[in-house]
Amino acid sequence: MGGPGSTGSTGATGATGRAGANTAPVPTLEELALLASEAEAAIASSATRASWEALRVSWAGAKSGRLKELQALIPKAADKRAFGQAFNLLKARVEDALAARDTELSRVEAAARVEAERVDVTLPGRRPLVGSLHPVTLVSREIEAVFRSLGYSIAEGPELEDDRYNFALLNFPEDHPARDAQDTLFVEDGRLLRTHTSPVQIRTMLARQPPIRVICPGRVYRNDNDLRHSPMFHQVEGLCVAEGITLGDLKGTLEAFIARLFTRQTKARFRPSYFPFTEPSAEVDITCQICLGNGCPTCSHTGWMEILGSGMVDPRVLDNCGIDPDRYSGFAFGLGLDRVAMNKYGIPNIRSLFESDERLLRQVRG
Amino acid sequence: MEFLVSWLADYVDLGPDIELEVDSGGRHFMRTVRTEGRAEISKLRDELTSLGLSVEAVPISMFGTEQELKLDVEVTSNRPDCMNHFGLAREIAVKRKQALRKAVFPFTESLPRGGPKISVKLEDPEGCPRFTARVIRGVRIGSSPEWLVRRLEAIGSRSINNVVDATNLCLWETGQPMHAYDLETIPEGEIRVRRARAGEKLTTLDGKERELDTEVLVIADRGRAIGLAGIMGGLDTELTARTSAVLLESAHFDRRRIRIGAKRLGLHTDASHRFERGADYGVCEEASRRCAALIAEIAGGTIEAGAVDAQGPRPEPVGWRLSGPELERFGGVAVPDSEIERILSGLGFAPRRVGERLWEGEVPSWREIDFEPRRAPVDDGETRARREAWRQDLFEEVLRHVGFEGIPSTLPAIGGVDPGVNAEHDRRDRLRDRLVGFGYAEAIHYAFGKRSWDRELPRLVGTGDPIALANPLSELFAVMRRSLVPGLVTAGEFNSHRGARGVKLFESGHLFPGGDAAEVEALALVCGGTLGGEWDHHLEAELLALKGEVEAVFADLGVVAEVAPAAFPGIIPGSGAVWTLSGVTIGYLGQVGATDSAFPLFAAEILLDRLPSGRERIRIEPPSRFPGIEVDLTLKHPLAVSWGELEMAIRAEPVPDLASLALKARYQGAGVPAGAVATTVTFQYVSAERSLTQDEVNARHAPVVAALEARFGIAREEKR
Repeated sequence: MGGPGSTGSTGATGATGRAGANTAPVPTLEELALLASEAEAAIASSATRASWEALRVSWAGAKSGRLKELQALIPKAADKRAFGQAFNLLKARVEDALAARDTELSRVEAAARVEAERVDVTLPGRRPLVGSLHPVTLVSREIEAVFRSLGYSIAEGPELEDDRYNFALLNFPEDHPARDAQDTLFVEDGRLLRTHTSPVQIRTMLARQPPIRVICPGRVYRNDNDLRHSPMFHQVEGLCVAEGITLGDLKGTLEAFIARLFTRQTKARFRPSYFPFTEPSAEVDITCQICLGNGCPTCSHTGWMEILGSGMVDPRVLDNCGIDPDRYSGFAFGLGLDRVAMNKYGIPNIRSLFESDERLLRQVRG
Repeated sequence: MEFLVSWLADYVDLGPDIELEVDSGGRHFMRTVRTEGRAEISKLRDELTSLGLSVEAVPISMFGTEQELKLDVEVTSNRPDCMNHFGLAREIAVKRKQALRKAVFPFTESLPRGGPKISVKLEDPEGCPRFTARVIRGVRIGSSPEWLVRRLEAIGSRSINNVVDATNLCLWETGQPMHAYDLETIPEGEIRVRRARAGEKLTTLDGKERELDTEVLVIADRGRAIGLAGIMGGLDTELTARTSAVLLESAHFDRRRIRIGAKRLGLHTDASHRFERGADYGVCEEASRRCAALIAEIAGGTIEAGAVDAQGPRPEPVGWRLSGPELERFGGVAVPDSEIERILSGLGFAPRRVGERLWEGEVPSWREIDFEPRRAPVDDGETRARREAWRQDLFEEVLRHVGFEGIPSTLPAIGGVDPGVNAEHDRRDRLRDRLVGFGYAEAIHYAFGKRSWDRELPRLVGTGDPIALANPLSELFAVMRRSLVPGLVTAGEFNSHRGARGVKLFESGHLFPGGDAAEVEALALVCGGTLGGEWDHHLEAELLALKGEVEAVFADLGVVAEVAPAAFPGIIPGSGAVWTLSGVTIGYLGQVGATDSAFPLFAAEILLDRLPSGRERIRIEPPSRFPGIEVDLTLKHPLAVSWGELEMAIRAEPVPDLASLALKARYQGAGVPAGAVATTVTFQYVSAERSLTQDEVNARHAPVVAALEARFGIAREEKR
């Protein structure tokens, strides 16, 4: 029965000169320790699964492994207790060595398998499904970020408004042609869908005293529906009211904003205009983003495109909101988000923003 | 609005490069557009634009083979004073530091030669505070001289006859709309300006009979209406070839009254366009004299002395006061005193210096409409309160002419940051990002939709009728939406029809419950099919996947919502569920029934306004240092027992060291009788103090198993 391991350097075990389990002499404790070291070394250096398996059988084989044989010698030992302890240590060391080598060999084998199978790394990766924010949301966020960094906060309000907030307090006289420019959608109870986000400015001023710095993003509505106009679109308006606000502050703020939203090279031009709620009022043109100012059909060969309306808050509006116009002044501005989004992403038709073709929406990565 | 470059040259010098001819009446004309003048025109264009009179185009008008260059100017509704050549020229003159030339015309009146003395009665002095009437006798109605036809045609006005053309020319010259009546058609030359009677009829110059009401202001004789005040004359009093005596009206009307009348009658004329925006009260008489002189010049006849200038009570003129330092502080720019004086003088404000860098004056009549005075009159201690303009109105005039381009750019000097936070806005942004992470594309749809939407799909807000648009663009946009889902389902179908294999869309927006209820912010998701390529191995959309996404949103808000089966219109029975929080409905979920999408559509909507807006305060539980033990329990139970019921039963009794439990699998098939389901739940036991032994875990777990089996297991039934 038994015998030396079929492979490997089992010289030490061979040196004990065993003839069989029944006749083998009882090794000394020192010899047991030596055996453990030799077994560990042999197992650790087994190069293949087959040599590891042979060692496992020779040492830990259930029927005739060396451990089994040595265990059988315990009753013959002079000091059974000491021999038993030494044997247990030997057994633990051998089993640990077998397990460690097993793990190691498995890793090597797995790696070899991967190497052999060879993934075609030019295959496309399996992509997670990534969603997309709406182009208008992205533009709004960019603008919000600029103004937040300038100390502004965000104010919002209802979309169904009454005449007072949407027109009267904003100094739109009743029955005045200035209202024609904002073709209004009314609901049956006499209220209206806000034509701009300015009512939020009014609500803010009615609620607090200066200094006020807010921007008001949101949906707005006009009775207009063609290729260039949608009955619903988006605006961001801003309002800054404090003591000593100047026309220069309006210019500086909007120039800073334009440089951040577009590019440093983008120039701004302030053209006097008229809005009932600001005076002086100015429309702001920027360098045409299509031709960079060289002239193209989009900008009617002027090199400019109109993006903002702005002005110094009309004192009547401050007065209407309970803010002393003799003490405070301020500026306000507004821009359409949809147009900016269309320019930025090259979307040709405003209505395609709202028909939710996922092939269009999912191209926008924010 | 179009203006002739040559006509403007009657009042200002436009530079030698624009070659013009002058006729014997001092009128300028262009013959050919010369390239040499291009730079000068471009300069003029920029000047006007810089003043707030945007030049949109420079078209050319042909008169035979000759050319007239025009300026197409966007005149904003607050500047009716610039809706004529003289007014526009005034702005150019100030910008160019020139003196403005006024038209010089001979004006002689002759004594009346008998006939009735004309009279004017202002019966609605608010609607018509001033009416001048002047008679020109012995005119011969005929065609206009060539220069006049040319000017009118060039600005797009048709030549009618010499007298009518004269009134039109004066309109484009002075801004004052005037009207000429055949005097013989007006009994006793008696004019009344009054409101129309209800149902009163008038045939206007365009040949249309119009029914009037009491909101409309009319010019009338003793009995009948003979013209729509400030809008259009009547047919009966029109000039004819036989007319020899003309009554010339030059009146001032209240802009609101004209606007109301024009809107009611659906009429928009050159006259109403100006009156609606506010005409010049002060110019009536001068314009009448100018026009009468022109009529006498081109149609013969004599101007009769004894013109009537009927005036109602007139409010005090609006005074103004301007402080140089205040102007500079507001503009952020230094403006020399001489500039302030020059600009204001040129614009007709006649400044008087009343102190150190302080001026006063009155607003000219042609600008009053844009200088609505302060509400509270400034009481200067005298008996009469003074109407005073807002100083900012004056700042605007000066700064406009100083030029915005010269104003240095600064940033507001405000300390600190704005105190406002907007939790709702931030919540929406956070949830958007969450859903984008789940693979959804954000959609935005109109806030109005079809009436049938309310019946076809679920809604969680609004009880009565939806809010209907009074002037909807179409039936597709008839009512304000009470759910975001119909728009998303429509978009889902749209994508399916275009060949998509799946959709994943969300929208956030307001719902409009109706009545006095406030708008509700909602978030909705619609998904179906599979997105991405097959290679990407994405799972097909299904109800529970959608539910999990919504639950993740709830978790993000720190909300643990209760869910229960629910039936909804348009949702396939058995697939609907409602979420509640403390008994309040916060959302729903289900599979859409009637859809022509090629793949099934699943929808969910949650009402954000009913959820907390802040982020949940997160407390970290340190994980146990000891390993836990997982035990699976498989329970065969009737299908009627819901997972919710099962889970509640397990959680009802505290089990020591039970760290978590999670549904692992549900199985129906071989080994499970029909009507039953095998539910496998993983229990994880962990102690914070030590490693649990299998025996300890078994001891804790066995009573749970026994209790569940006894209460729900089908084995219980089999034993009976």
